[in-house]
Amino acid sequence: MEIENLLYAYLASEERYAPGEVIIQEGTMGDWIYLLMEGNAKVTKKTGKGAVLIENLKKGAVFGEMALLENLRDSRSASVVAGDVPVRVGILDGEKMVRDYESLSPELKLLFKALAGRLRKANSKVAALVVGLNQMEKPVF
Amino acid sequence: MARVWLTHPPPRAWGSAQARQAVRKSLPRAAQEEEIMDKKNDNDTTVPLIRLKYKNGDLIIKEGDYGISIYRIIDGKVAITKESEGKDIFLADLGPGDIFGEMTFLGRTKEARNASARACEDSIVEVWHPAKLMDEYAKMPPIIKFMTDQTLSRLIRMNKLIIELTTREQKKREEMRKEDPLNSRRRYFRKKVDLECNYRPARSSDKVRLSGRAINLGLGGIGIEIPVRNAEMYSHVKGDLLKIQIVLPDRKNLEIECRIEEITRNAGTEKILVGMSISAISPGSRKLLGFFLMP
Repeated sequence: MEIENLLYAYLASEERYAPGEVIIQEGTMGDWIYLLMEGNAKVTKKTGKGAVLIENLKKGAVFGEMALLENLRDSRSASVVAGDVPVRVGILDGEKMVRDYESLSPELKLLFKALAGRLRKANSKVAALVVGLNQMEKPVF
Repeated sequence: MARVWLTHPPPRAWGSAQARQAVRKSLPRAAQEEEIMDKKNDNDTTVPLIRLKYKNGDLIIKEGDYGISIYRIIDGKVAITKESEGKDIFLADLGPGDIFGEMTFLGRTKEARNASARACEDSIVEVWHPAKLMDEYAKMPPIIKFMTDQTLSRLIRMNKLIIELTTREQKKREEMRKEDPLNSRRRYFRKKVDLECNYRPARSSDKVRLSGRAINLGLGGIGIEIPVRNAEMYSHVKGDLLKIQIVLPDRKNLEIECRIEEITRNAGTEKILVGMSISAISPGSRKLLGFFLMP
């Protein structure tokens, strides 16, 4: 309950997406952090053999946070696409988030940066493994 | 075995000798650890740390041990692995500037280390005293905690998924290897066939002409079975290039140049199995082969 109030205090605006619509496009630049308020969404990662689903997001999920944790080092590392129902997302107040984040010590920020970097690598690895397995199971001509 | 901070040492100054002593005490006492440098600057605003040197192959963190120190690589390379069904599954490799040990610190402090870290080169790492960071972590803005907790659980989920997928891949590879020892190294599917073929060394003035039977065929290569007596006329060596002519069932001639990858003697028979990869193929032959391979 408490966390919901807290999140509402950080909401800057809301957006709606139709089923299947792209919320975040992998490879683009962007620093918005989203909160999934209604519906569900899929996280996908591009590979040489098409997009691989790496995760399902449910109500209450925060996404796009890696841009903040990694200081916008790179472009968006994965796509987020609205699931099979209409989606409502909240956009968290960027200025407020950055201010909060910048109040942390350099060491703690370094830890979070490491965490986000590890997740980025893990996502790529999962996508590569999925592609590899598919290739082994279905012979390629 | 438990090596956990029972009390957070309350050193008066964070860079003090006392604090460094506390960091040292918190570390697994492995003989290979060699302290090379203490932090010189007794500055009480920074996280106390010591530097340690590990040799290639040394275990830095052991899965299942207790400890909440955070490590940063100054020099070298460290592999993060997790054990599953008796095998080490590789999760990530890290280099200078990278941090590890942070997952136990971030929210799972009462649990044992959930992965191992091993030096895979001679490495120097910095070990952070986590107590001060822990205070800060506890007091940080709740929205940041809410957000980073999700990032952490995603990483834990992804690591589990990597283990699951890697295990599946290894099993699959094992199955394929049992079915056909060559298959596990092939990139492309091979169709099982039984076709007559003739071949000759591609780069030899020898006028030798040999024959055998193609037993599998794919876009990447071919496997042929030859009688042992062929070896008396020409010594088949791994890496040799052969010009091969195969008559496909529709009476069309397929001509390819192949490199010998593997030679195995079929036990109990007078046959030798020669595994090859295609090194050259004309567009026409490629088309023929493509049509032939279509299901």
